[in-house]
Amino acid sequence: MPALANLGLSTRRYALGLGFALEGLKYFKYWVAAALVLSFAVPLIVSQYTDITLSAWFYTANAGKWFTAFVGGGFVYTLVPTMVAAGLTRRELAVSMGVFGLLWSLLLGAIAFAGILGERAYYGALGWSQGLDAGDVIAPIGTLGDTAAFAAHYPLLYLVYFLAGTVIGIASYRWEASGWLLLVPIIPVVFSLDNGLYRTEPVGPGWAGFLGLFMDDWARWFIVAAIVVVAAGLAAAAYRILIDVPLRSKQA
Amino acid sequence: MSFAITLRSVTLKYGAEDALADVDLELEAGKIYGLLGRNGAGKTSLLSLVAAFRRPTTGEVLIGGEPVWENAPVVSRVALIREGGDFDDTETVKAIIESGTIRPSFDADYAFKLAERFELPLKKRVSALSRGKRSVLAAVCGLAARAELTMFDEVHLGMDAPTRDAFYKELLAEYMERPHTIVLSTHLIDEVANYLEEVVIVDRGRILRHADIEAFQGMGATLTGPADAVDALGLAALAEQRLGGTKSITVAEPLDAATRERAAAGGVEIGPVGLQDLFIHLTDPNRNGA
Repeated sequence: MPALANLGLSTRRYALGLGFALEGLKYFKYWVAAALVLSFAVPLIVSQYTDITLSAWFYTANAGKWFTAFVGGGFVYTLVPTMVAAGLTRRELAVSMGVFGLLWSLLLGAIAFAGILGERAYYGALGWSQGLDAGDVIAPIGTLGDTAAFAAHYPLLYLVYFLAGTVIGIASYRWEASGWLLLVPIIPVVFSLDNGLYRTEPVGPGWAGFLGLFMDDWARWFIVAAIVVVAAGLAAAAYRILIDVPLRSKQA
Repeated sequence: MSFAITLRSVTLKYGAEDALADVDLELEAGKIYGLLGRNGAGKTSLLSLVAAFRRPTTGEVLIGGEPVWENAPVVSRVALIREGGDFDDTETVKAIIESGTIRPSFDADYAFKLAERFELPLKKRVSALSRGKRSVLAAVCGLAARAELTMFDEVHLGMDAPTRDAFYKELLAEYMERPHTIVLSTHLIDEVANYLEEVVIVDRGRILRHADIEAFQGMGATLTGPADAVDALGLAALAEQRLGGTKSITVAEPLDAATRERAAAGGVEIGPVGLQDLFIHLTDPNRNGA
């Protein structure tokens, strides 16, 4: 918790959401630092042996999506029993998680955005090409404007991954044996939208994003709109599962 | 201010099984209650409903006259402390205490004072605590919550006898300083009997008895005296102890005047019934009319 002062009843849900984001960032600061160092150091080492044509940061930022999903799921799984036992209502916790998810996605999105622009300057200074593995070809991301436009989607993508993780996390708490099975419908949808947006496979089981292959010709704004709709659907699902979740009995 | 508890026609089902069946219960504000019951009787389920940890299948749960479910002004002033506490085990003791400030009424200074008194290692992670220390941490958080309704569900399990004694005394001191409603759910009945004002016995998902402690003690008696004189009374004993020629029996029925006279004439002393003996008798599955 950020401070020792007692939280006010009317505003504690927002304060907690902010607190979760700050605590999360504090907790994972060395992970973020390690990702930064590796993303910039590894290409330098690899360049001793071959030409650099791929964006390392793209992979780091993609790994951040998984990380964000785990943060959303892990936090809600842990917070439900502790927060409800501490006198928070489920509705308050839902709002806190919403604030947390938005702030976390924005913070990580800002880091991803800055990273890809920083990498562009770094690659440019060393004469490397900042490209993506788009199936058969390695496609350069493009101009500064193209790069910024490309990276601008990160906050939204992090949000949809955060929400996907949150739904699976709360479902796993609620239905101990079977909640995780929500992975089955959620992963293909989220992966496919990610796949369709960047026209490249997401990091992880890329085959799970097979539907994205059919979206390659879709207008980008349409896929963005679909991601917003899916994010809203996931938020509604998380709320629905959370709002009357019973606390598990303690094991003797 | 303290909270009264009202349950109206409350049923809680786990699947097809009734954990609580059509329970009606009224507990006045500002008293210390003992909640007794055998394992699986429904004590924890009942407390879970009162603290809004669960929602009843049917019926309503009111705290201070208001529905408790999703009622932030109420649940923020209700504390249910379960055995071992509901903590994130990866956090330190200090962080756990600090997180109590989610409650507007939580007294962090008091919590740290208690932590020092009970020798809680602030820098240790909860996962590294012994069972006893974990119970102490839970008890400290419960006391420092300064809630209007505080419920301890077997929270003393794992505490050694001196720690339990210190906990009960602190609980009583806190209650005297700031009257509020307290519910103690426990199997260590005789240990807490002196602190209780009223007792609720839950059995097989129903309220078996609810009365003040004197009424319970009046439901029976303990008779101690020469073994022959005790036997001559011809009473059905719930429990008996014998030391040399002296015998002590517990009976679960009020003694009439004639029996009292015969007891006195035989040199048999009459005392109040032990709550634990009575509890064992009342919840005996072979007993009719429980």
